[in-house]
Amino acid sequence: MHKVIKLKRYEQPPEGYYEDFLREFHRRQRAELLNPSLSSLLLERLSGLFSELRVPAMAFAGAAAVAVIASIAIIRETPHQETPRAYSVSYTPTLPYSQVPVTIQNVQNMQPVSLRVETPTSSQPQGGSTLFPPSYLLKARPANHESPLSF
Amino acid sequence: MTADLDTPINNDKELVARTQGGDPGAFDELIVKYTPRLYGLVYHMTSNHEDTNDLLQDIFSKAYRSMANFRGNSSFYTWMHSIAVNMTINFLKKRNRRQHPSLNDPDNNIENDPDFIAATSNGDPTKEVSIHELQKKLNAAMQKLSHDHRIVVTMFDIQGVPHAEIAKILKISEGTVRSRLFYAHRQLQNSLHEFKRS
Repeated sequence: MHKVIKLKRYEQPPEGYYEDFLREFHRRQRAELLNPSLSSLLLERLSGLFSELRVPAMAFAGAAAVAVIASIAIIRETPHQETPRAYSVSYTPTLPYSQVPVTIQNVQNMQPVSLRVETPTSSQPQGGSTLFPPSYLLKARPANHESPLSF
Repeated sequence: MTADLDTPINNDKELVARTQGGDPGAFDELIVKYTPRLYGLVYHMTSNHEDTNDLLQDIFSKAYRSMANFRGNSSFYTWMHSIAVNMTINFLKKRNRRQHPSLNDPDNNIENDPDFIAATSNGDPTKEVSIHELQKKLNAAMQKLSHDHRIVVTMFDIQGVPHAEIAKILKISEGTVRSRLFYAHRQLQNSLHEFKRS
């Protein structure tokens, strides 16, 4: 089958075709330059038409204003979404313990700390207690020097 | 006949560089070099000499306009063939069914081709009639193939382009090229069973 199909290669264009092809190519290129295509002509005409229309500058300003007002209205219309509540953190401008210079006076004023974890108590208002996580801050408390009775 | 037999890549690179540098004479050299091969590609796809001529002019025109974008990622040969294949298939899709074959006369050397003698030995006693009959039947069989199958048959069977090069031009795998050839040959065998040699 391959050999039979291969016979098609004997079908050749008329004598001198390849020589004329390049001349034809040059001729077409020149013609293209002199006679632009219909699409390029149409594009040129359209651009000329729009430039002649001279739309007043105020029309553009008005359109812009309408767009701004519409976008504001759309933004306001959007339903309020629940966002996680931001918690304020109180800042005490005191140096952390690690940066306090160790002096005799400071040592005397120091208070012992407790490592007990604070859990929310039942006295706290309903609803509000669940919003705040348990505090793990070390708070100054009197230390218990008694030995534990049981483990 | 191999794909790059008469298309040394290095020479192409130089001609492409000169064209990109603004030398139109260099592109003329590329046209002269590639016209016969691309003519065959388009002609065997369209089976119409006039359509082939117009399409080939458009192909070279597009290639010239796109030369600035050619970065050399593939060889100029592959790039040029890809343009030709894409434009030809687009043309065939538009032309659809309204086709009128305009075939070139086969070269006289066909009469001395042993494959031709073997293929037509069981045909009509007058050789001249057999040539035209064979041409007509080959053309009809080719036109029955889908565009995808016809392009691989044209490049592989008629033009002798290797599988790997066809794969690069069509941007498909070599396996797909072989598969398409297999199915195309099977279809051609059904159309040309009378020329099948024992």
